This record gives sequence, structure tokens and C-alpha cells, in this order.
Amino acid sequence: MNKSKGSGIIGDLEYRQPRVKLIYWLIFAGLIIVAAVCTLPPLWVILSSFKDIKEFYAIPPTLIPRTFHIEKVWNTWNQFNFMKYYVNTGYLTLGSLVFCLLFNGLAGFFFSKLKPRGSGFIFLLILWTVLLPNTVGMVPLFSNIVDFPLLHLNLTNTYWPMWFMAAVNPVTILIFKSFFDTIPVSLIEAARIDGSSKLGIFFRIMLPLSMPVIITITILTINGVWMDFFWPYMVLKDQSQWTVMVAIYNLKATLPMDIQFVALTFAIVPPVLLFLIFQRYIMQGYSISGGVKG
Amino acid sequence: MSVKAELRARSGQIRKRKQFILYWLKEWSSWLLIVPTVLFFFFFSWQPLFQGVVLSFFRTEGFKGVEWIGLQNYIDVMQNTVFQQTLINTFIYVLWSLAIGFVVPIVVAIAINEMRHWGSLFRFSVYFPNMVPGIAAAMMWMFLFNPGEGGLLNMLMGLFGLPSQEWLQNPNMTILLIILTITWRNFGATTLLYLASLQGINNELYEAASIDGAGIWRKFRSITLPQIAPMISLMLILQVSGVFQVFNEPLVMTEGGPSNASMSMMLQSYFYAFRYFEAGHSLALGVVTFVILMLLTIVYFKLEKKWERE
Repeated sequence: MNKSKGSGIIGDLEYRQPRVKLIYWLIFAGLIIVAAVCTLPPLWVILSSFKDIKEFYAIPPTLIPRTFHIEKVWNTWNQFNFMKYYVNTGYLTLGSLVFCLLFNGLAGFFFSKLKPRGSGFIFLLILWTVLLPNTVGMVPLFSNIVDFPLLHLNLTNTYWPMWFMAAVNPVTILIFKSFFDTIPVSLIEAARIDGSSKLGIFFRIMLPLSMPVIITITILTINGVWMDFFWPYMVLKDQSQWTVMVAIYNLKATLPMDIQFVALTFAIVPPVLLFLIFQRYIMQGYSISGGVKG
Repeated sequence: MSVKAELRARSGQIRKRKQFILYWLKEWSSWLLIVPTVLFFFFFSWQPLFQGVVLSFFRTEGFKGVEWIGLQNYIDVMQNTVFQQTLINTFIYVLWSLAIGFVVPIVVAIAINEMRHWGSLFRFSVYFPNMVPGIAAAMMWMFLFNPGEGGLLNMLMGLFGLPSQEWLQNPNMTILLIILTITWRNFGATTLLYLASLQGINNELYEAASIDGAGIWRKFRSITLPQIAPMISLMLILQVSGVFQVFNEPLVMTEGGPSNASMSMMLQSYFYAFRYFEAGHSLALGVVTFVILMLLTIVYFKLEKKWERE
């Protein structure tokens, strides 16, 4: 894998000097250490959750596990009903995805293509929402959830608050808008002449044309919902409604440590798998936003 | 007024009304599409913000304001002995995160960008912690920082002949360790952003500098740093603003302890609201945090403009 790179401080000529080569390999060794610090702790936790009880509580702890008990993980899964938490999280994710794609997509369509007079003001308001640090909203938002204004509904122990909040996502609106900007207006004019309604244009033309963006946003949303902690923790107080993150936090006080390690494994493995499968899309997202900002 | 002028005025009015009706005939369906999104923004973002500021001037019972008491909530919060410590703590959080969390991704990104071997492997492993959910990462490090002989880190310290540590229980160390945990989990994403911007540097700049006899250090100072400077300055303000609102990690790892040594302003605000049930105090502290953050941001942008001019 030795290749000449695109752009860097150490040029091909300098790389031939022994002194520079030494520096290069020192940096290389440093990066190996960084990589180890990044990847080994989670791997150790996952492997440790397969240890038997005796080895788990051994002093000093073993770095490389000597025992491997897959049935222990299986028992914990059944005993603490993790299937339920996974299903709940899946349900929460599905709803969030629908709200996020539908309402942020519609907003992107509105700001990019419909643009009636006066829409600029709303767009500005939404942009401001990104900039303002939200240090004050926690209490009133919670009281809105407990007693939803006008309708007087109590939304605790339901997934609606998180679904609604999935629609409040200025960054996604921006991503949709900038992608829709690249779709030619002539397509929309043609559809309008053929008698298509605005919703029809959105669903039959805009969405099918923006599949790459939708895939990226979908992966990021799935990931985000899986990791989301605070609002699910505040809203879902009933154990039968807990998501995985809420469960591992709430069970912290009552479970013995080795079972907690298994629970952590349950929380870490799915997003890591998601990352391994969709690595390309996730990394792509970063190079896009890096290019835009830099 | 002459009859003519009156007629002209009236026809102008009619034309305006006609335009108005035409506008709505044409655009009502467009506006209809944005209504739900705006409602969600209103109830879940704008109204809570506004309501929070208003309620901070009220005596509260539950989450309802019952009586206008002016600045009393603010006075109560600031006179509380914890306030001063929380404020100092929050700035210590920011300082540590500037010393560690802000510098690490820059250094690592530049290092990875130089690699001729294993570049994609490093990229992958650096981003890997980002896939560990924040709560799980905080809990994981809490286990690794376990004081006593059962803790993994104490065992590793023992291997190198170092004494065991109290880790999170040590009030002088706890903020640093929380920042290390946050950095561990988040620096990969920032590194990728820097990498994208490093790869955007035109290689001809480096080649030209080499021909002019510039060494590695000179190239780093005169080409690399200025080229990624806009990114660095953007990340700086995002970092400060993010860490200023640090909340989840201290909640999970220490609950603000030992004896408030790791209490941050947002965590204190959360405890006011949901542990002591004093919503008014929580909101006042939230507003104070907001104002400090806004001041910091404004000062920062003023300074940045000054630097750019020079």
C-alpha cells in the first residue's frame, strides 16, 4: 500500500532523506498508539462481557479473556428482556425517520422550489434556531410534553415527542434544500403543465431524484435515534417503553457489574455494525460538509 | 381632496386587494406544505425558548408561573454558594477542552494526512469511537476508571509501577477525565472534517515551496496552518459553545460530584428543575448561561474580524 500521496507536507524527495524518514515512522508509531486507544477499550468491554463471573471479578482484571461464555450473554438478553428494548428503539427509529424525511423534505422543497413571497423570513428564523444555544428550553419543552398546549394531551410514555422533534431539524432542512437546488426547474414546470399537484411533484419527482441524500440522512437518523438519550430518558418513564439507551442507564443502579458489561455490549454492537456496513456513506457525509465549511 | 385623487387612491386599494387575493389563490397550497414543519418548530423550539425566558421572572409552582417576582430567581441562584463553583467549573471544562479536545483532532488530522501507509485504517479507527453511543462511552470509561484494584486502568498503572489512582473520585482530576472521555468519543468526527479540508490544499503550493528550499517546518507553518485556519476558527467557537453546555457525561459519570467538583451549569440547571423541582431557578440559571455564551460568541466574532483585517 505504498503510494505517493495527493497533497502533504512531506514531499517525495524529502521522504528519501533518512532524517525525515525517521520522523515519518515516529509519527506512524504515534498514530498506531492513537488507533489502539480508540479501538481497544470498546473491544475489551465486549470481550469482557463473555467472561465467567470468577474471571470477571478477578483482581487484577485480565487483559485478554481466558473464558468465553456465549450463553451468559444469551441469558442476560432473555432475563432482562432486551428484545423489548430493541423493538422499542426500532419503533422509535421508524417514526423519527418518517417525520424527519417527510417534514424536513417538504420544508427543503418549500424553500428551494416553491419559494412564495415571504418564505425568506421563515427560512431566516429556522437558520437562527441553529445558532441559538438552547440552554433555556429544557423546562418549558418538558412542560409542553406533559401538557401539550391547546390539546391538553399528556405525551409522556409515548414516542410522539421524539417523533415531533425529529421534524425540528434545521441541518437536515439545509441539506435537502441545497440538494433540491441542483434539480432543474424545467422538470417541475413540465410536471405542473401535466397537471401534477405540488405534493405530487414532491413525491413523484423530488424524492425519487434525491435518493443519495435520502440514504445518507436515513443512516444518520438511525444512528442518531439509537444514541439519543436525554429526551427518551425524560419522556419514557414506564419500563415497557424504554429504549436501549434508557435501559442501560436506568439499570445501572440495580445490576451487578458483569451484567452491565453485557448490557453495554448490546448498546455498542448495533451502531458499530451499521458503521461497518455503511462506512462509505457516513465518511462521504464528512467530506461533503468539510468541503463546504472549509 | 379632489375627486380624481380619491378615485386614484381607491383604485390603488382595489388593485392591492386584488393582488393580495391573487397571491393567496396561487400560493395557499405552498404555504400549506410548510405549516406542519413550522408548527413543530414553534412548539418544540421557539415557544419553549421564549416561554423559558419569560418564566424565569416568575415564582413557579410545578412548571407554571404564579407570580411576577422580577429578578428574585436570578438573585437566589447567584447567591447560592454552588453558583460560583459551577461557573468556575464550567470555565475549567472549557479550558481543558481547548487544551485537549481542540488540539488533538488538528494534530491527528495532519499526521494522518501525511501517512503513506495504512491511511484508511487510521481514518477508520479514529472514527470508531463515534459509533459508540455517548451514554455507553461515558459508562464504559466510568468502569475503566474504577478506583481500587479491580479497575483496568489501575491494573495498567500497576504494570508500569505507578501507584493506583482515585480517578473520578479525585476532585482535582474529575473534570479532566470527563473531558478526556468526551474527546475520546468525539475527536474522530472533527478529525475527518480537518482531513477533508487538508485534502483540499493544492499540492502545487507544497511543490513550489519545496523548490524554493522550504523545509518541513516552514511548509507546515506557512502553507498548512493558514490553509486550514478558517476551519480551525469555526471549530474553536463550536467547541467552546458545545463544552459550555456539557451535561450528559457528568450526569452519567459523576452526577456532579465529588462534592460538586464536576458540576456544570447545565447539569445544575437540570438538577434545579428535575431534582429540587425549582423550575424558576433552573430557568434563571439557563438564561445566565445563555447570556454568557452569547457574550463569548460576540466577543469572539469581533476579535476574528480584527484578526482578519490585520
